[in-house]
Amino acid sequence: MFKQNKTWLGYFAFVALVLILPLVVTKSYYISIATFAGIYTIVAVGLGLLMGYAGQISLGQAAFFGIGAYTSAVLTTQFALNPWISLVFAMLLPAVLAYIMGHTMSRLSGYYLAMATLALGIIIHAVLVEWKSVTKGASGLYGIPKIELFGFAFKQGVSYYYLTWIIAAIVILITINIIHSRVGRALRSIHGSEIAANAMGVDTGKFKMNVFIYSAALAGLAGFLFTHMNYSINPSSFGLDASIQFVTMVVLGGMTSVWGAVLGAILVQLIKIFIHTLGEHIPFVTSEFEHVIFGAILMAVIIFMPKGLFPTIASLFGKKGHRQTAAEEVQG
Amino acid sequence: MTTMLRVNNVTKQFGGVVAASSVSFTVGDREIVGLIGPNGAGKSTMFNMCTAVLQPTSGEILYKQTRIDGLPPYKVAQLGISRTFQNLQVFKNMTVLENVMIGQHIQSKAGFLSSALRLPSALKEEKTIVENSMEMLKFVGLEDIADVNAGSLPLGKQRLLELARALATRPSLLLLDEIAAGLNHKETQQMTDLIRQIRDQGISVFVVEHDMDLVMTLSDKVIVLDQGEKIAEGTPQEVQNDPRVISAYLGADMEEDQAG
Repeated sequence: MFKQNKTWLGYFAFVALVLILPLVVTKSYYISIATFAGIYTIVAVGLGLLMGYAGQISLGQAAFFGIGAYTSAVLTTQFALNPWISLVFAMLLPAVLAYIMGHTMSRLSGYYLAMATLALGIIIHAVLVEWKSVTKGASGLYGIPKIELFGFAFKQGVSYYYLTWIIAAIVILITINIIHSRVGRALRSIHGSEIAANAMGVDTGKFKMNVFIYSAALAGLAGFLFTHMNYSINPSSFGLDASIQFVTMVVLGGMTSVWGAVLGAILVQLIKIFIHTLGEHIPFVTSEFEHVIFGAILMAVIIFMPKGLFPTIASLFGKKGHRQTAAEEVQG
Repeated sequence: MTTMLRVNNVTKQFGGVVAASSVSFTVGDREIVGLIGPNGAGKSTMFNMCTAVLQPTSGEILYKQTRIDGLPPYKVAQLGISRTFQNLQVFKNMTVLENVMIGQHIQSKAGFLSSALRLPSALKEEKTIVENSMEMLKFVGLEDIADVNAGSLPLGKQRLLELARALATRPSLLLLDEIAAGLNHKETQQMTDLIRQIRDQGISVFVVEHDMDLVMTLSDKVIVLDQGEKIAEGTPQEVQNDPRVISAYLGADMEEDQAG
């Protein structure tokens, strides 16, 4: 119970930070980067739960992200649906797809999910590019309406920042609740010893599947926020490199804690700013350079800090991370 | 006496190797049944079939009136069969208390939604789970280290923890896989006492052991396997005096000596 109090303290401190940030940082470029951090946080929190708790890797999270984004974009531009209604479909479609994938692979064991999601990511990206009658191909969709609430339109900028982070904060809260519950305990037991979890009556296949569906629905939600932040979207945001970036966020921050995923999502945005700034001074540092950096980070973290940053930092402050390292999973 | 577990004509083949050959036996209500045999007798295979980890090639295994061969292990657990592991399987990433709380998984029902929203029903249920789990820890004498990481426990305490975890599922039939392996004399004594108390609480116990001592002191009935075949069944006294059992063990010992 003591542990829980600490968690809530951390949570409210974080929410306070998020609320204060736009008062301190006013440059619109930074606000939009911080908004992206919120959107990616939502994806990373779901993926972190899948990787750190269900012990499964998805290399195609960008597919669910993209489906969420395009579903809402198509429904609001071509069918003039209210974004709040399209949100339901933006979350439902990825969830249903995850259910079908999980069901066909009934047990979701080993690296099958990683392989299958990798393939899914490539297929969905191809569909977004080629299904021109609906997606308008590589040039993408434009004229996406803003989200409105009680007549107030969330335009890009501070208002959208708050919308995104309030939703992200709710997602974090819900995920923490799941982790600190019977469900989270069952998930951790699967990671601890799947055979023993099974022998204790935990339907391990079902729990893994539910987490996979949850992570897909969250990616869809993030895709929805991504779409309505922009006036237009195109398939380039939903390729394999985006999927790898999501994995990087989770691995970098630490997959055994919700905060690890949040930290990872924020750090990846900071690294992007850093590269962007660097690019203004050094000619060969283009946005392509990101891939090199993220690849290097991924390798370095897995080798030198397999628990990721957050548990490492937390243990420096004497707060013992109560989850075991994900390195076991990575190292097989 | 009602039958808790009925193994009926069970055969298991791994390719050309016969690990169990038409084996039949029963475990009665409130009975402690020991399964012994020399190395390679097929004890583990039999145990794994009783917990539905392995499926028999032919024959059937019934728990009360339900066939359990072919069911997924989690369903077998939900029916009321619990187990421990020879090669310890405590959840090393969790505390001692949390390990036992997993044992209460099937006794509780909070799902994704009620957990996510911290519904009062879920919180109340958590409180009950903690209380019950502490009770189990008290029973095996681990209540003082409830918050210790389970992976850091010595072997003897991990065996006790597995016992507490298995009991937390509130089973009617408890399967113990070499529960005394690696325990010293004092720990074995404690384990023997605990198993007796468990039976006195109304739980049937099926013990698979390589070591004879624990089985002979505890069991109401002993079953002896050798090379996949049941060669004897009876009271510890009867079994110990059975010439086939003696030769099976002596033969095995001689082979071991030669190998060593």
